[in-house]
Amino acid sequence: MDFTLTADQSALCDAIDRLAQRFDAKPIDFHGFALASAELDRELEEGSYFDIAQIPELGPLSAAMAVERLARCAHASETALSMLVRPQLPGEFARALALVENGRPGRFVAQARTLILIDGEELAIAEPAPEQLEAVHSIYAYPMGRVKGELKRNRLSAADAASIRSWLRVALAAEASGLIQAAIDSTVEHISVRKQFGRPLGSFQALRHRMAECQVLAGGLRWLMLKAAWSGDAGDAALAASHAQDSGTRIVYDLHQMLGAMGMTLEHPLHLWTYRLKALFSELGGRGGQASAVAQHCFAAA
Amino acid sequence: MDFAWTPEQQRFRAELRAFLAEHLPPNWEELADGPASELQSQFANGFCGKLAAAGLLVPHWPARWGGRDADPWTAFILAEEMWMAGEPRGGQYMNVNWIGPTLMRFGSPEQQQRYIPPMAQGHTIWCQGFSEPEAGSDLASLRTRAEPDGDHYRISGQKIWTSYAGYADTCFLLARTSPGKNGISIFLVPMDTPGITVRQIPSVIGEGDIHEVFFDAVCVPATAMLGGEGQAWDIVRAALSLERVGIPRFALASRALQRAVKRLQQLGRFGNGAIEQAARAQAACEAARLYSYAIIDQRAHGIIAGPEASAARYATVNAERAVGEFVVEHLPEALAGGDALLQAHHQRAIVAGIASGAAEIQLNLIATELLKLPREPR
Ligand SMILES: Cc1cc2nc3c(=O)[nH]c(=O)nc-3n(C[C@H](O)[C@H](O)[C@H](O)COP(=O)(O)OP(=O)(O)OC[C@H]3O[C@@H](n4cnc5c(N)ncnc54)[C@H](O)[C@@H]3O)c2cc1C
Repeated sequence: MDFTLTADQSALCDAIDRLAQRFDAKPIDFHGFALASAELDRELEEGSYFDIAQIPELGPLSAAMAVERLARCAHASETALSMLVRPQLPGEFARALALVENGRPGRFVAQARTLILIDGEELAIAEPAPEQLEAVHSIYAYPMGRVKGELKRNRLSAADAASIRSWLRVALAAEASGLIQAAIDSTVEHISVRKQFGRPLGSFQALRHRMAECQVLAGGLRWLMLKAAWSGDAGDAALAASHAQDSGTRIVYDLHQMLGAMGMTLEHPLHLWTYRLKALFSELGGRGGQASAVAQHCFAAA
Repeated sequence: MDFAWTPEQQRFRAELRAFLAEHLPPNWEELADGPASELQSQFANGFCGKLAAAGLLVPHWPARWGGRDADPWTAFILAEEMWMAGEPRGGQYMNVNWIGPTLMRFGSPEQQQRYIPPMAQGHTIWCQGFSEPEAGSDLASLRTRAEPDGDHYRISGQKIWTSYAGYADTCFLLARTSPGKNGISIFLVPMDTPGITVRQIPSVIGEGDIHEVFFDAVCVPATAMLGGEGQAWDIVRAALSLERVGIPRFALASRALQRAVKRLQQLGRFGNGAIEQAARAQAACEAARLYSYAIIDQRAHGIIAGPEASAARYATVNAERAVGEFVVEHLPEALAGGDALLQAHHQRAIVAGIASGAAEIQLNLIATELLKLPREPR
């Protein structure tokens, strides 16, 4: 047990942070939902950052740190599945990756060159042609898309499917962790400045405590997510995803409440993180799905 | 960053488990009901003596005081295994965690010689005389007075909620020597000093846990003061930084949850509602565990934990609450003669958000020091 970053991890985190900083802020004139950056995507490709998990000195743990940091950017990028799930797929697959659950629209589906399809208990992979995909307008703050027509599916073996489900959970938790922290930071900033009744809102204990509780949940999620990325254990992954959806649901509500009407605007960036989080809450079966996975992997059958 | 235990740490944990398996009596779980009861206090004395003889009581203390200079991880693994087993050390865990180390750092040579060896041998119980009827969270408002009288002090006042006082040999006492926060001093007071009266307070936590302690012109020599006059605040702050993540409550919470789930599975009652709640509780336990490990990791690197320790504490409160609520809702019979361990856990879990700094005080610290939110006006 030693939580200090290795020299390689520090160097990676610094590099990712420098890159991410350029995409942290929402452009002033952007008043929409799906803010994504092709430039960020390209720079990540050029820096070979999508292959972090395969580098022995770095591995999935470092990839999870990168996903978490990039998820804090106002500009979304398809990093989580590419960095954490793609290395676990049986074979070489092109990015971007996207998840399609039971035919529903999903994040980055219209851009995807590889789809992971979940239909009930079955997991399959498809490599769609662009004309088989279409963008859908959505308030989820990711570029959302869906599949048109039939795809050629490559069904995964039970063992591969179990492993991919687990890494999907880690990816979800890493993404959620970054989104939640960015949303908290932005709300802290707002209530530190905004004054009512002659005082900054953040000096009222009702909000201080609520915010502190959000931070405790966010910090717990970050540790669970890092541990899961480190261990690759199905139980750890289920716990991290469960905590992500459970605490995320509560935090999203609380943060919007603390921002008042300002949080309703598309001018303030909060919705970019919170509405992305909302897209994550139903994934992989939602809280019930994570709970079944926890039951399966963390509570041995009597 | 590495989440793996070293082989040495794994061996140490295995050694502790073997020791517990050998030395806890078969009826231990029933005995453990009432962590400060007469039975358990007596048991703890014998048990701590055996731990000491095996070199397992204070491994993280310096060799000079009977330890082997082991690192903070060793100390925490020890704490985890003991708490998970129902804390067979009773109140002596406080000696091991913070009273001994505080005396090593701030005690006079005479105080160290007198008090540390019996702690290292596992034969002495201390109590912590901080809280008063009018001074709970606002500890600095305490009113117990210590007035100089030649080369002695006369102490008068009342302490409350004092754990383990019924069988304690010595009290780590806070008393006022002058007004204000910097007017509080620490006295090491033998509990058989004339003028001390202890009264047990019946509680939901179990037999013998909390007490009132009255000090009626109790006369102690000036040499009973720990550190200098008015130094209590600084010393206590250092001592309690060890205590904030002192008890690995998540370890017993997690064990209790596992046991409750197993029982429900056997009874065919682990359905969807229970599964969702159990998953949430398990995640809360693991979050608290990792949070706490992060603090121990800082300690191991010589960093004094800041507000993250309060976050770790609060995560632990969440875990205790989640497990407690799970058992009450899904396995209610556990608290009606069904399972002594689950009942003992439940009785202790309720304390998590109150003792050693209430949960809301931790939230205040997190808001101000971690999130840097503006302070509340005073
Ligand atoms: C089992 C147990 C064992 C204990 N053992 C010992 C012991 O051995 N020695 C000892 O000295 N003490 C001991 N204590 C006392 C413990 O330290 C106090 O209970 C604790 O400091 C809280 O004080 P209080 O109980 O007076 O609560 P109060 O201070 O009255 O607080 C009541 C509630 O109000 C909240 N509150 C208080 N101030 C604020 C604020 N500024 N903002 C928001 N909320 C606030 C608290 O968080 C809490 O929820 C023990 C307590 C328990 C339960």
